[in-house]
Amino acid sequence: MRTKILLDEEEIPKRWYNVAADLLTPLDPPLHPQTGEPLKPEDLEMIFPKGLIRQEMSTDRWIDIPDEVREILKLWRPTPLYRAHRLEEHLKTPAKIYYKYEGVSPAGSHKPNTAVAQAYYNMKEGVERIATETGAGQWGSALSMATCLFDIQCRVYMVRASFDQKPYRKSIMQVWGAECVASPSELTNAGRMILKEHPNTGGSLGIAISEAVEDAATHENTNYALGSVLNHVLLHQTVEGQELQKQMAIADDYPDVIYGCVGGGSNFPGMVFPFIPDKLKEKKDIRMVACEPSACPTLTKGLFTYDFGDTARLTPLLKMYTLGHDFIPPSIHAGGLRYHGDAPLLCNLVHDGVIEAMSFHQNEVFKAAVTFARTEGILPAPEASHAIKPAIDDAVACKKTGEEKTIVISLSGHGHFDLSSYDAYFSGNLVDYEYPEELVKQSLAKIPKF
Amino acid sequence: MIPLKKVGFVVNPIAGMGGAVGLKGTDGLAAEAVARGAVPVSPRRAEMALAELSGVDALFLTAGGGMGESALQKSGHRYHVVYRSTGVSNADDTRRACRSFIENGVDLIVFCGGDGTARDVSEVVGSQVPIIGIPAGVKMHSGVFAINPRAAGELIREWLGGDLSTRETEIVDVDEELYRSGTLDTKIYGIAVTPYRPALVQERKQIYSSRDEEVFKEEIAIFASEFMRDGSAYILGAGTTTAKIAESLGVEKTLLGVDVIKDGKTICLDASERDLLRIIDEVGRAKIIVSPIGAQGFVLGRGSQQISCEVLRKAGPENLIIVATPHKLKETPRLLVDTGDPEIDEMIAGRRQVICGYRMAQLKDLEASSKVRMD
Repeated sequence: MRTKILLDEEEIPKRWYNVAADLLTPLDPPLHPQTGEPLKPEDLEMIFPKGLIRQEMSTDRWIDIPDEVREILKLWRPTPLYRAHRLEEHLKTPAKIYYKYEGVSPAGSHKPNTAVAQAYYNMKEGVERIATETGAGQWGSALSMATCLFDIQCRVYMVRASFDQKPYRKSIMQVWGAECVASPSELTNAGRMILKEHPNTGGSLGIAISEAVEDAATHENTNYALGSVLNHVLLHQTVEGQELQKQMAIADDYPDVIYGCVGGGSNFPGMVFPFIPDKLKEKKDIRMVACEPSACPTLTKGLFTYDFGDTARLTPLLKMYTLGHDFIPPSIHAGGLRYHGDAPLLCNLVHDGVIEAMSFHQNEVFKAAVTFARTEGILPAPEASHAIKPAIDDAVACKKTGEEKTIVISLSGHGHFDLSSYDAYFSGNLVDYEYPEELVKQSLAKIPKF
Repeated sequence: MIPLKKVGFVVNPIAGMGGAVGLKGTDGLAAEAVARGAVPVSPRRAEMALAELSGVDALFLTAGGGMGESALQKSGHRYHVVYRSTGVSNADDTRRACRSFIENGVDLIVFCGGDGTARDVSEVVGSQVPIIGIPAGVKMHSGVFAINPRAAGELIREWLGGDLSTRETEIVDVDEELYRSGTLDTKIYGIAVTPYRPALVQERKQIYSSRDEEVFKEEIAIFASEFMRDGSAYILGAGTTTAKIAESLGVEKTLLGVDVIKDGKTICLDASERDLLRIIDEVGRAKIIVSPIGAQGFVLGRGSQQISCEVLRKAGPENLIIVATPHKLKETPRLLVDTGDPEIDEMIAGRRQVICGYRMAQLKDLEASSKVRMD
């Protein structure tokens, strides 16, 4: 009975898969925040290296991974695919549950997959400093490590709510030589403006993005980096799904369904995009389900339209599902999923019905996480646990139907920094937030129309 | 040196006597209650609260005899009598004692009684000084009461120690005469300030840090002002959260009454049930925004009685919008509805969204009070 399906280092993918080549509907272009005109590559040069801008705009199906990047990925890749025998036994399900675990990376999540690539392209073009934001701290940690390996300075604006919940995230960034500040901060105009209006705010990813973008635009030889949403980020994450395909083949199995959590979109798209050609061209019967919090249900309850990526309206307008750029999601414990929008590539596929979306409340998510930890041992991050919840439900449903369904969980990271959230769960202090959809529909006049 | 804190302390000696002998309240019926064999309950409850305060250094100002002096004497606290009743104690004595407390510059007023006493205290004190109620009445629906006398003692101790913040809450009472004859007619009589323990455990504290209640009230108000321009008539119940909504829209609203707003304009101030029924007919679409009374949790049935079961039936129970700050929800263990019509209560009860911030709601269980055993 095999528990781990491992690949050799040499099987780390040599190319990234670009789903833009296989969409049913072409992607609507990002628009310039001031003119409303489609963005040109040179518009992005102030904050991104050309190598990444080319990837952002590319529709080539395959893009080579530089050897220098693959060398660093070897530190933890390929990541293991587990068969969850003990969870299956506990649930007494005929279903087969697998999970691909990205928590083995040094930073504890899937985020280094793109952090390393982004740091590499910045290094190649002589950038000396990078500013970024982080929600739960996963991305900030990953980029701190990656910039450290390429000898680039790094400042991370961390959403205040998470900064307070997880003080050790700051410490780990410091170990890797980066500077981590709570956002909103006094260091930027955007931060000062928010603090003036809401002095005690817990912040949001949208606010932190505004700060990091402003930092990059106003500092010499400083670029900006984003850990989700953008096309090139999703591209870099496709190493996950390509590995998963090989590992499923070794297991002589194929997923009926893949569940993954979605905040802005990076881990889930990275895991499922390589399966899109299977579904669209080879007509394979595979479901791909994006799992999000009910408190911030972008894909399930948002509007599909152009909106800003940040609170201060500095970023280009992206065509995506959005809850409104001025929405500050409640301070749920899955801090990494608190984002008002989602990756345009992912939204495109959801809108075309290729990918599904579901949302869950945090108490039920933590309950599933505890069941998982008590059977499989691994302590999952609250974010990742959003994918465990429906997987368990699905497996339980299989008891009635007798179906030997193949269920794959994209387990994006460990929860070692999230123990205060587990404490809150055990002491009954987690509030189940919900997005008041009907009332919001009445009030969505604030989103710009194009 | 920190000046000694001064606490006004008044006991309504007849409060609560009616309850045990089947009188729904004791207002104007003390003699009848005694005749039915009622024994005083409030002195004992006042003593229980004071017993929690041993070692606390404060100066109590009080009223003579059974109105506070006796209890303080037994507990051994430092006190001055600043008011003495001349005859049999009545509601006017409570008010006069409170007036004297205010004149003497107290920092806090503690009273022992029920909703009637709360009303008397609040009438004089308003929001000038925080008040804490030691529960000893027949009905205690106002938000100033501690859950039991001991808890009242603890609140007083913590407040004197500077560990507690205050919040606004509603003073609610029913007309006892009508109540006794079977008609429930409650209304909000005032807004008081009361110390409360935010009961923030570690995690919670981190999440909210110091985002205070006002910020969330404003968020709720901004959100409401965005969704309220859909052509429906919005019936706004009493209270400070709903008042904030009107403020955010820049329109007039009574603090204690029910008002109606449509497309950003007030179309009826201090509406009666009849006004509401007429407006729903005229406009065709109506939504009702109410906030639970802090601590005791009634969403409907203990204030804003104009929003009757007929009004709810006509507007449609699905058009009820409940708003409350996260702090209030944390402090309110359960949400209750008691419109007087069990059928409507059942329709409204269940797992419901409570708007608690900007585009933000919590899922809460709303219970029909007929199904709940009240403590």
